[in-house]
Amino acid sequence: MQNISPATLLVLVPLLPLVGALLTLLLGKILRSRAHMPAITGIAAAAAVSLVLLASTSMQVGAGPSSGEHAEPVRPVEMITTLWQWATVDKAYTPDAGSAAAIPGTPIGELTTEMRPFSIPVVLRLDPLTAIMLAIITCVGLLVAIYSVGYLHDDPGYTRFFTLFAMFVFSMSMLVAASNFLIVYVFWEAVGACSYLLIGFWFQKPAAARAAKKAFLVNRIGDFGLAIAVFLLWMTYGTLDFHDTLSANGTILPGILGQTRLADPAGMIGGAVGTAICLLLLLAACGKSAQMPLHVWLPDAMEGPTPASALIHAATMVTAGIYLVARCAPLFIASPGALVMVSIVGATTALVAALVATVQYDLKRVLAYSTISQLGYMFASLGTGTMLGFTAAIFHLLTHACFKALLFLGAGSVMHAMGGVIDMRRYGGLRRLMPITAATFLCGACALAGVAPFAGFFSKDEILATLHSKAWPNTHGQQQSPATGHAHLHLSSFSSDAVADDLTADALIGLDALNCPDVWRILFFMALITAGLTAFYTFRAVFMTFTGPTRVPAEAGHHAHESPLVMTLPLMILATASLVLGWLLFSTHWLSHFLSATPSFALPAFGQTATAPVFHLDLAIQGTLAAAVGIVVAAIGHLGRRSDGPQMERFLGPLGALFANQFFFDQIYTVLVVRPLELLAMLAGIIDRFLVDGLVDFIASLPLGIGSVVRRLQSGVLQRYALAGVMGVLLIVFVLAWQLRS
Amino acid sequence: MAGLPLLQNSLLVGALLFVLGLEGMLTRRNLIVLFLSAELMLQGISISLVAWSRFHGDWGGQVFVIFVLTVAACEAAVALVFVLQAFARTGRLDAAAWQSLRESNLPRVVDHELPAIDDLPADWPKLSPAGVQPVTDENSALQRDHV
Repeated sequence: MQNISPATLLVLVPLLPLVGALLTLLLGKILRSRAHMPAITGIAAAAAVSLVLLASTSMQVGAGPSSGEHAEPVRPVEMITTLWQWATVDKAYTPDAGSAAAIPGTPIGELTTEMRPFSIPVVLRLDPLTAIMLAIITCVGLLVAIYSVGYLHDDPGYTRFFTLFAMFVFSMSMLVAASNFLIVYVFWEAVGACSYLLIGFWFQKPAAARAAKKAFLVNRIGDFGLAIAVFLLWMTYGTLDFHDTLSANGTILPGILGQTRLADPAGMIGGAVGTAICLLLLLAACGKSAQMPLHVWLPDAMEGPTPASALIHAATMVTAGIYLVARCAPLFIASPGALVMVSIVGATTALVAALVATVQYDLKRVLAYSTISQLGYMFASLGTGTMLGFTAAIFHLLTHACFKALLFLGAGSVMHAMGGVIDMRRYGGLRRLMPITAATFLCGACALAGVAPFAGFFSKDEILATLHSKAWPNTHGQQQSPATGHAHLHLSSFSSDAVADDLTADALIGLDALNCPDVWRILFFMALITAGLTAFYTFRAVFMTFTGPTRVPAEAGHHAHESPLVMTLPLMILATASLVLGWLLFSTHWLSHFLSATPSFALPAFGQTATAPVFHLDLAIQGTLAAAVGIVVAAIGHLGRRSDGPQMERFLGPLGALFANQFFFDQIYTVLVVRPLELLAMLAGIIDRFLVDGLVDFIASLPLGIGSVVRRLQSGVLQRYALAGVMGVLLIVFVLAWQLRS
Repeated sequence: MAGLPLLQNSLLVGALLFVLGLEGMLTRRNLIVLFLSAELMLQGISISLVAWSRFHGDWGGQVFVIFVLTVAACEAAVALVFVLQAFARTGRLDAAAWQSLRESNLPRVVDHELPAIDDLPADWPKLSPAGVQPVTDENSALQRDHV
């Protein structure tokens, strides 16, 4: 590996799954039941390469964190590979003289007056954030792909599944490796398309087709936000690149998240435009990461095959929003109002989704709501705007990818054995039938609930600590917020026409007022309650599925047995990861040190918050207590009992109905969005059918009418034609004679 | 103008031939007769050409007539092949049998319907021995299109 440059390796990570996908597609008919071979080989190779990249990046970052509370920020590690120019226009535009904000700080070269090129390079980057995301995507992807071999072994769409699966791994690795907002947008859509196709994998099933459509449409709203955000970024910064580029005459074009801009304290544009960009990015993240109010697609997305749910709708694609916000950290830091919105959205989603999850009976739906809730946790952590918060979010992303993939695969294993039944009321006591699945599922559940030595405990603890430090800033001995110092940073520097009216601008900046400890206290308690609820619904699912008298639904037939090794092996690997990963990363502080070398996180503002995460005993006790209460309540309610009645709803009364109906989000959207749109469509249909079609039909009837008259001449009688010819000649002769009569 | 009476007489004959041909073309239904009528029209024009040529002392008109004759000969060969093929297809020489090029929703134009082929007698006219008056069949003599 010494001879191969990291740039080549970086290109190989997306390329190998792409080749795998194409080979699977081409050779699917020949390989038949071995159609998974190219895809899995490609993903496995990509996983190996991404681990090599992770190791090499880690070596570049340097050894473990130096001792001392205020460690020096590490040197940013970044590598850019431009593959080719997608679109290039030389001298495309001249920057508006008013928008000096396009160039941060002191003007570099004479760029402000000179024509600037418009270019969209297909460019990949390697930095710690990308390296860790690539490792997560390819490694979890590999395990899930291996599992799918067992899960889908007789499916007629076997080839299609693996093609899409490898395509997804390709798209997702491009998404996290791209270093240009437009390329990010392209692959943002590509993962959405893969997700759509995999949700609708069993498209003959109306529910699956509907769910796929819903996911696609809801995501469209978020994608719209991303598109507008990209436009605004272009207008504001004059480039879409993350990194600095060297222009032809030797001047540096500062990228949006490049070193030049990061080193400049006024590099990021705050104020109304900055806040608008961040809120639009948040909207995009909400769509992809299923946050309120755009979370409605994820529970329905469980209609797809369970491995797809595990990889796309739990471990990787839904974390694209987290990645986007983390990647754009400097932008968010410059707009504290948007930042606090991230936390508010996250914490609210976490709580609401957890409440809904407590009364679901569909095992996969419980896990889906749990995913939404955990993603909300990550957003809450990101919104704190501290280095610790961002690290905690990525840490939780990493551990969540392991244990949620594990839980989903476990649920898939149960579903496989139960003949497709996933309603927890219809089976029970499966630990005797499926010991490996039960044990590994328990590992995942412990990790999700935050039981002490498991991965979730550490990452959740870090998130709680982050929120706590914002809520009670004095007890942590840190500065309250590096972000507040940046409020109103660039307010004076952009012209008033940048945003339509001042009222909107005031409203956007007014969000900053939310960034006060009281709000953070509420968010902290929401997160703490969510922790308890998480433990409750997780163990409710465990108890309902694996304990009590053994019951098997009729659909299972003689099929109710432990899954084959090809399915249980990934479960065991993921269970081991869920067990050791948290402790490993937490005790060595490797992750926070590693991530601090990401250029986005190397902001001067972060320098103050770049402390090594400390173990807060009091918070750990609070979190564990919440989890313990949840588990105990779940045990009282469900341990060892037949669990087919709606006890929870009855216990909660009207609230239970509210939770069971998912806070009526679907119904509200139906009334507010779907019905008016259907009405509009009906109206348009009427106009089309009667007005537009009528006009077209009328025009079409004109030649028909003329033809019906003229057609009589076409009698087919030879003599009539001859007569017509003679008459014509005679006519001509007479006319000529008339003219020549003089 | 010594040749004027000759020109006038020739043009008169030419015009008569042409009009006869035109009349035959517009009224007859037998394909061969139609074809003969067309030839008649050609010859009418040829006579006019020759007359004018002679009147003006210009050979061009007569040369043109030679060309017309040549082309007419070729045309006769081609046209007779078509007529034969048409007869082979339908068993008829009636131009009214070829109305399929009319608009499909218009009725077939028939002024006099001919008897169906099946009703016709199977004995075709044969060349009788030389010098003997042929025995004519009343029925088939009426069927011009089979003669």
